[in-house]
Amino acid sequence: MEETGNTIAAASTDAATSIKTSTVKPNPWKTLLLNGLWHNNPATVQLLGLCPLLAVSNSAINGLGLGIATAVTVLLSNVFVSATKSYLLPEIRIPVYVIIISGIVTLVGLLMNAYAHDIYLRLGIFIPLIITNCAILARAESFASRNPVIDSAIDGLATGAGFAAVLIVLGAVRELIGHGTVMADLHLLLGTDPIPPLINLGENFKGLLVAILPPGAFVLFGLLLALKNLCSSDQR
Amino acid sequence: MHSNKRFIESNKHGVVLACFAVVVATALAFTQHLTKDRIHTNQVVRIQNSLAEVLPDDRYDLPLDKQKIELPDSTSNKNRTIYVISKNTVPVAVIISAVAENGYSGSIEMLVGILADDTVSGVRITKHAETPGLGDAIEAQKSDWIKSFDGKSLAAPTESRWTVKKQNGDFDQFTGATITPRAVIHEVKNTLIFYQSVRQQFYQ
Amino acid sequence: MDTALNIHNPSSVARTMQLVLFALIPGTLVYCYLFGWGVLINIALAVFSAALFEALSQHLRKRSPATALADYSAVVTAVLIALCLPPLIPWWIPVLASGFAMLLAKHCFGGIGNNLFNPAMVGYAMVLISFPTELSVWLQQPTGLSISFIESLHAVFHGGVPAIPQWDALTGATALDQHRTMALEKASLSAINQQTVGFFGASYSEWTNLAYLAGGLWLLHKKTINWHIPVSVLVTLLAALLFHKLFSSQPLSVPVNLFGGATMLCAFFISTDPVSAAASARGRLIYGAVTGLLIYIIRVYGAYPDSVAFAVLLANCAVPTIDRLDIWLNRSTDA
Repeated sequence: MEETGNTIAAASTDAATSIKTSTVKPNPWKTLLLNGLWHNNPATVQLLGLCPLLAVSNSAINGLGLGIATAVTVLLSNVFVSATKSYLLPEIRIPVYVIIISGIVTLVGLLMNAYAHDIYLRLGIFIPLIITNCAILARAESFASRNPVIDSAIDGLATGAGFAAVLIVLGAVRELIGHGTVMADLHLLLGTDPIPPLINLGENFKGLLVAILPPGAFVLFGLLLALKNLCSSDQR
Repeated sequence: MHSNKRFIESNKHGVVLACFAVVVATALAFTQHLTKDRIHTNQVVRIQNSLAEVLPDDRYDLPLDKQKIELPDSTSNKNRTIYVISKNTVPVAVIISAVAENGYSGSIEMLVGILADDTVSGVRITKHAETPGLGDAIEAQKSDWIKSFDGKSLAAPTESRWTVKKQNGDFDQFTGATITPRAVIHEVKNTLIFYQSVRQQFYQ
Repeated sequence: MDTALNIHNPSSVARTMQLVLFALIPGTLVYCYLFGWGVLINIALAVFSAALFEALSQHLRKRSPATALADYSAVVTAVLIALCLPPLIPWWIPVLASGFAMLLAKHCFGGIGNNLFNPAMVGYAMVLISFPTELSVWLQQPTGLSISFIESLHAVFHGGVPAIPQWDALTGATALDQHRTMALEKASLSAINQQTVGFFGASYSEWTNLAYLAGGLWLLHKKTINWHIPVSVLVTLLAALLFHKLFSSQPLSVPVNLFGGATMLCAFFISTDPVSAAASARGRLIYGAVTGLLIYIIRVYGAYPDSVAFAVLLANCAVPTIDRLDIWLNRSTDA
């Protein structure tokens, strides 16, 4: 946790200096969004929540399912923490965060069980395990407990969307390399009739099976990180 | 005086924590109440669907009229779960749980559907740990192999042909994996033999 | 590190790698004599593509391709991959395996001397997991050179052995796989031995293994490799096999496990890669024991018939811990 705090602190001072040096003051909400999605992305920069990320991202639809669940959780937890921050006594703030986050995760789990049952079964243990995703607790502690509700909501949305985006991209890449499809079984999430995948390379496509198995998750996430770092260093 | 102040302070903490807990618990109780019926329906439908998979599509209306019983299998000394499926209160098929212990890596669990005329209506794998890309072709999503049991019975093919083609049987093997299909074929045959021994308990 | 390999001295690396290549010649020749041109085609494809991927990686890293190629380490990696693959496999499999070995396992970690994992085994494991069907097609009987070079080339570039129907009938599982299969079906060991071919029942792979053993002993004699890892791997594997014999009812052939599959290739050529092995003598003994034990465990309980690649990669993962353990043991004996 301490290390996490440091990374966040470092990242926010980075953001602060970049604001100071620019002549025109950028829109603070835009900065929040960019930080969550790119500059301080929970998965590719802070490297938080990697266990569910690697375990679940074997298809784009699984990634999307867990991504939405995580994003909703971090958004609601940020809003709730920020709205009640005047009651958060310093000594008991961590237990309170835990109560709030675990309550929201259970709630999201119940709703998914009711309205997206097949996805809920596929994600299995990783829905309740959202509670242990450090990115959510980190946002509650380092942002929502010190900022207004609207800003916290935007920060939660950005963090959640950033995490979800990595899940979906990794899931789509693994599914494409391993199966030759992208976004197969979308109907499981929407509860409609079967929808054909976005990309389908056909029955005869001979994929690299390793991509959808656990070792492929590590290798491809490593390559994704390398790509992200390459893009970031180009911008600098 | 000092200790009293600390007492009040820690009481305050307790009250705040309790308030949060009550609010969250209320929200959860409310959601649970709202979703309870739907989740229950989902679970029932899921079991129904997995049972219906091993029955011919057209003849059975959901929800299935089913009766669950447990019977000991004398050859393996283990209990088997059996669902007797009825139509207009007349038994028309049974679905028997089966476990092939000798898969390539661990046991393979499946459901075997058998019609009143003693032919197999369908087999589906419910759990396995076979090698990805080789033995996992027993899954209905991965290949049509599992459908080659449809319509088979102990009479046809004859007993010696209940094996893979490589051993002069009636069933295809997979390239690079003979043990997985053989384990499944063997267990389906065992299930049929077990079915013969208990058959008269379901049909009068 | 007291091995002869000094990675900071390119000419020393080249000399070592040349000796390793020489030591692989007997095994390669026996393998070719038994299974024909397919072996040489695999080696040619793997070496050519490994050199290409090495040059590409060096180019991407803005270094000179020529210096990297001159140390022969890419050639050794490629030959080891090729010797693990079945002959007459589709051409793109050795090419992909070399690509994974060079790009992912070697240069992503910083090139020679920095790789955490054995590059040859990374390449082989990636294709083994991805294409288990293709990698399980082995010629059952030694064909020798009866399949002509042109026919072999045709098979390799048109989908491998199954492309030629009359050969497809000759294919089957490896000896280790056959033993595992029959043991799972509760056949007795004598029944299994009747079914399998070869001197020890290892489908003739015992001859290649003996040739690797000879090459490995020559490397020991030349002091190119240390004795710790091969001895530790083989002794631990043998001990595990004997333990199994005593306490388990599942039939298991000790000679087939010792002289079948890639056992000798692993003990003398794969796990002795100094970069991805432990540093000290005691560390190497522990590292070899971990490898040997994992070979046994994965062969008997895992989902793949031969386990050398997975055993070596898992032992590679354990190397930092082994090195620390070694330092800790040194301290506690000093105190």
